[in-house]
Amino acid sequence: MFENIYPQLIGLCTGSLLLTSALMVWRHSLLASIRLLALQGIALAALVAVIGIAEGEVEVIVVSLLILSVKGIGLPWVLSHQSKAAIKHVQESPRLNPTAALLAVTLLTILSYVVVSRVVGLGNTSTGHAAPIGLAMVLIGFLLLISRRRARSQLIGFLLLDNGIATVTFLTSGGVPILLEFAFSLDVLLVVLILHVFTRRMSTKFGGTAVDQLRELHD
Amino acid sequence: MTGIGAGLLLHTETGTGLLMQTGIGVGLILQLGLGALAVVTALLAAPSVRSRAGGILSTLIAVTGFVTGLAAMLGSTGGLVIPIALPMDPLVLAPDRLGGLFMLIVSGVGILVSLYSMSSTRGPDASRTAWVAMPVFLVGMQLVPAATDSVSFLLAWEVMTLGSTVLLLADHASRASVASAGIWYSAMSQLSFFFILAGFAVLAAASGGTSFINLQAIEPGSAAANVAFVLFLLGFGGKAELVPLHVWVPRVLPEAPSHVSAAMSGAMVKIGVYGGLLVCVRLLPDGPAWWGIAIMLVGGASALYGILQASVSSDLKVLLAYSTTENMGLVFLGLGASMLLRGYDATAAADAALVAALLLAVSHAAFKSTLFLGAGAIIHATGERNLDRLGGLGSRMPVTAAAFGIASLGAAAIPVTSGFVAEWMLLQSLIHGGRQDGAVVSVAASVAMPLAVAVIALTAGLALLTFVKAYGIAFLARPRSPEAADSREVPYLMRISLILGALAVLALGLLPGPIAALVATTVSRDPASAVQAVGLGGVSLPGIGAVLDPIMLVVLSALVAIPVLVAIIISARRYPHRTVDLPWGGGGSRARPRMQYTATSYAEPLMRVFDDVLKPSRDVQVTHVAESRYLVERVRVEQTVSDVIEIRLYRPVLNLFQRYGVVVRHVANGSIHRYLSYSFVALLIVLIVVSL
Repeated sequence: MFENIYPQLIGLCTGSLLLTSALMVWRHSLLASIRLLALQGIALAALVAVIGIAEGEVEVIVVSLLILSVKGIGLPWVLSHQSKAAIKHVQESPRLNPTAALLAVTLLTILSYVVVSRVVGLGNTSTGHAAPIGLAMVLIGFLLLISRRRARSQLIGFLLLDNGIATVTFLTSGGVPILLEFAFSLDVLLVVLILHVFTRRMSTKFGGTAVDQLRELHD
Repeated sequence: MTGIGAGLLLHTETGTGLLMQTGIGVGLILQLGLGALAVVTALLAAPSVRSRAGGILSTLIAVTGFVTGLAAMLGSTGGLVIPIALPMDPLVLAPDRLGGLFMLIVSGVGILVSLYSMSSTRGPDASRTAWVAMPVFLVGMQLVPAATDSVSFLLAWEVMTLGSTVLLLADHASRASVASAGIWYSAMSQLSFFFILAGFAVLAAASGGTSFINLQAIEPGSAAANVAFVLFLLGFGGKAELVPLHVWVPRVLPEAPSHVSAAMSGAMVKIGVYGGLLVCVRLLPDGPAWWGIAIMLVGGASALYGILQASVSSDLKVLLAYSTTENMGLVFLGLGASMLLRGYDATAAADAALVAALLLAVSHAAFKSTLFLGAGAIIHATGERNLDRLGGLGSRMPVTAAAFGIASLGAAAIPVTSGFVAEWMLLQSLIHGGRQDGAVVSVAASVAMPLAVAVIALTAGLALLTFVKAYGIAFLARPRSPEAADSREVPYLMRISLILGALAVLALGLLPGPIAALVATTVSRDPASAVQAVGLGGVSLPGIGAVLDPIMLVVLSALVAIPVLVAIIISARRYPHRTVDLPWGGGGSRARPRMQYTATSYAEPLMRVFDDVLKPSRDVQVTHVAESRYLVERVRVEQTVSDVIEIRLYRPVLNLFQRYGVVVRHVANGSIHRYLSYSFVALLIVLIVVSL
């Protein structure tokens, strides 16, 4: 029974990962982006759980719980910790218009399929077939990093990139030891906390968080 | 001549960890330990005791280095093996005789400088940073000659450079010129380091190892050896202040605190000379003839250019800095001559020239560090280093004056000082080197040697003028400024190190025989046939047939001079001196300090003679009296001599870099998005390329 729906479950999880990534590029509202990020975290946790159940490893299932708590709940909570009202008004004016951005997402996804199939081969397993999604998420995260003006939106791009790396890891090697995964997650949490504090200081000091206005270096 | 550190390596093939082999090993460990202790002390000590504690520990470091160097020079072997995880030869610190000699030179200067700095440092010179950098600098310098593989050599070299850069920057907050000097120094020392690194890399690639034993296996005539030689000449020449890589010298040595200038000029520059000897005598001996000629050319040009600039300078420390370039030029001239002569099997003359070069390095360490410390004493007492505003210090600072005077005699190569012995030996080897048993050894040598003699003769003459000016204007006559008139003798620790330096200059000059014989053992294959000690500390060059015995000279001249002096004293008693105020003043006494010669006016004839080379710029402003154009109220003359090489060679290159920097500013405009885009595009390109 489970063997039959396993490929479909993998497809569902990775599909929702890619969909949330594309939506993150499309939507300009910060609140929407944070919600999509939470959704993506949950999808990633589900993907890990599916892999864990398929391979019958309890450790991987524990990792999936960890991912759910950090990426599905923890990080979005930290990001939206500021008053909801303030975030609602934050509208991103990206350097790329939505149509061009979505076109770029398509091209990047195609590129990652080409690269993975040429370089490592897709293999016969359903996880191997889904592996390019991870690379595509990394590239889309990078695209968000360079196209968003505000520091907090760039942070979301960075987290998307990190999710992509995690996806590639789980799809190609069935996950990393729990201790390493724990360390990675805490690292990312720490980075986000630091950047969050930093962003706050930026907006109190300069009255905005538009990164492209910060050009001059000072001692 | 066996491979450097070869025996040690064989002994310790099976050993692991930090090995203490012999007394030398203990000495090296002690230096490292004392260095660490000095750094910690400087960090923790209260400002009131920092200079005292740092100075004592630095002196201990230098004394340990001195003893270790002496032991190594006398033939003790052993050292430290530091295994490393990287796939290359282990780091071995094991000074051979030559390394021992240079460790001795460097730490000898270190002792003088540490004693001096204990009471000379104040304000920013005595800051925590400066006192941390001091032991680092000393230990780095003392370990370079101990290295027997390229990696530890380069490591110690960088430690030395780092320490000296920090020390130089001690006073950067109050004077803008220090910051500019710091930039020049960093750039030039990194350039030197780059060349040396590249040289070692070429040799290591050709030989397949990083230790000096492996590098010694390379054929000196091969292409790799030729490339490495040029790179090494540029690298070590830069550190040894040779033209055209000397541009940092007239900025850095004057701007650094005086004890640091003394250490740089007296000791660090010698490490550059050691590098040259390491390459030409140890690693790649018996190179082609053009190596010797190239070194002679560079050395001769440096000697002439350095002393010309020094002779017209009126800034005391700039004068001393340029004179360092001159002396190092002479050292390299001797080294080049010895290489050239050895190529034609004129071994005796070649050995004599090499020993002369080494003696010159030793004596330069003694007299130049004393001179820089003396300049520091003058600055300490008056706050002035412009000779035109000094004068009359002789009666006010007698100890400083005596020490500076003796060291000036050494720098001008006057008999009974160390400088004279070295230049005498160099001249002997050059004059006799061109011929062997009456026959000309080669055309190249018979052309090069007389030219070199001419260069040394001109240099010696100009050096005499330069140091007569430096001593006479600063210490004799009447004070030219109120600061000079109010000067007082410096504290006793500074006086002690000045006296020690002056004594070293005299000892090296009066006992050249034993010292030269000892120095000859460090480089010569057959030291007894090259140099021998004769008489009361006299020196003899058996291969050339020349003998010099300074003590006998002194005794002889005393025998002549004493009766004359006695006669003068008796006649002076009989006819007492009649004091007349200014016989040409028409009865008035209007002799004012402004009527005296100044440094600028003393050098004016020289400036005229060498006008085309020095290209001075003069600015004369005449202010007339309002009533009459024929009466002059005041005349203001300003004359600056700029470094021709800097303007013609360095400025265009620097301007090119400046323009490049302006263009590149558009590419890197500070926008984080742009930088991220660069990495994104690079990532995409890599992905596309790998999937093609």
